[in-house]
Amino acid sequence: MSFDHLKDRFAIVGVGYTPQGKIPGRTAVSFHTEAVRNALADAGIGKEELDALFLYRHFDAIAGDYDVTAFTVAEQLGVRPSVIGQETYCTRGWLFNSIGLLASGLCRYVAVSYGDNARSGRRSFVKELAGGKATDDLAAFGDLSTMAKYAMQARRAMDTYGTGPEVWKEISIAQRQWACLNTRAAMYGKPLDDEGYYASALVAEPLRLLDATPNSDGGRAIILTTVERAKALGRPYAVLRGFGSANQPVSPLRISVEDEDAAAKRASRAAFAMAGITHADVDACELYDCFTYTVEATLRDYGFFRPQEVRDFLRRERLGPGGDLPVNTSGGMLSEAYFMGLTPVAEAVMQLTGRCGDRQLGVLAGTKAPSIIVCSDNGAVFQSHITLVLERGG
Amino acid sequence: MDFFEPRISADTAPFWEGCRAHELRFQRCKHCGKVRWPAGYLCPDCLSEESEPVVLPPEGTIYSYVVMHKPFHPSLADKVPYVVAAVDLAEGVRILANLLDWDGEDLRCGMPVTIDWQDSETYSRPIVKRKGE
Ligand SMILES: [Zn+2]
Repeated sequence: MSFDHLKDRFAIVGVGYTPQGKIPGRTAVSFHTEAVRNALADAGIGKEELDALFLYRHFDAIAGDYDVTAFTVAEQLGVRPSVIGQETYCTRGWLFNSIGLLASGLCRYVAVSYGDNARSGRRSFVKELAGGKATDDLAAFGDLSTMAKYAMQARRAMDTYGTGPEVWKEISIAQRQWACLNTRAAMYGKPLDDEGYYASALVAEPLRLLDATPNSDGGRAIILTTVERAKALGRPYAVLRGFGSANQPVSPLRISVEDEDAAAKRASRAAFAMAGITHADVDACELYDCFTYTVEATLRDYGFFRPQEVRDFLRRERLGPGGDLPVNTSGGMLSEAYFMGLTPVAEAVMQLTGRCGDRQLGVLAGTKAPSIIVCSDNGAVFQSHITLVLERGG
Repeated sequence: MDFFEPRISADTAPFWEGCRAHELRFQRCKHCGKVRWPAGYLCPDCLSEESEPVVLPPEGTIYSYVVMHKPFHPSLADKVPYVVAAVDLAEGVRILANLLDWDGEDLRCGMPVTIDWQDSETYSRPIVKRKGE
């Protein structure tokens, strides 16, 4: 199926940030509402123009807080969009849902939002147990945490393609270098070297604590609309030159590194084909990096390198500041903050619209101003995937 | 070594009953012949609900494995590090299994293994051993 008729027709016109890092005393909903308000202001539109609101999934409410629902966020923003929704269990449907509503003319502006008080609330990502009892049959084997599922894939890639901690260290350090150029990043002012990486404790071997994204408080939101409306707003924006969405809805246990139908492979093929680009056209990548290995798997599945070349390709000199393939220039989830797919997407928009300060590509020594940035959003354990090819617009 | 008693559903009950009898018991679709796991009411290939039990041989190869170092529950503090392995059985079925009396130092993806059983009071679960042991 070709989606070429949807090329260059939609844009991201607003990005909303909030205070982030450790911000005690705030509810998860408050981060959603602040992020959406700021995204609307960034786009230069009024809240009454918002006719669709999508929230990323929420995890269980942290003690002392309430559940986040789309109703609550809409209520507290004082908006009545014709479509409101919230994703569940890390499915990634927001992009196609937004495109469908905009392409059909059913909606004019769509907001996508995420917020959490995960850091102050010390959120746990162990869903296999509730009150010390198993929620399914994984806990019977001690298979606890999302990290264990990613570690299973990372180990397979180690034994199959020769990757390992020596590679993940490069990803970790490169992103930390970017974070040290971003005052907003959790790891700003905290450089990392080889020794620091290896000193990090093994959690689910082969992955260490520093291979995992830490919890953050805060929120992030974006506003999508048509390119015609984006032009009329008269501010810089990012055009969706290509995009793809794919799912591999099988249990994490059954996900295979070698799978030719991997969601990331299908989504990226569609996105690159729609955009009419090759890898050489890509100026930077902003990738969903719940773990260091996720960055590796995404770049591999997108075809930036051949699987067996992983050790040569993934080096800090390439991925970090001044490299020929800048990746996760805000520090990413690993070193900036975890706002699901909105961490990479927001950074791509900020880079394309030239608002990244010391880390701005084209300003930073040895870099070029970006025209095309590839973004990924990955849900669950490689089960749901979105690829966006964003281009500077306006 | 026990972890947590599995929560068993109407779909997964036959598998866990098989484990209690030390059998790798799955569903084979009567319509298209495909063996399915995870368990389900319908065959995900042809959507038929007609199935019959099939017992797979107690052998497979390691797809991958994780060594859990962090005790994600207080009761695991004296159990770490322990190994969780994903084992490819015949017929495209992949299951989880632990190692027992084996630290996994020489474990590798692709290694052939034998399936054995570990009984606890209320349930039994598959474990992996070096092939032939
Ligand atoms: Zn069938």
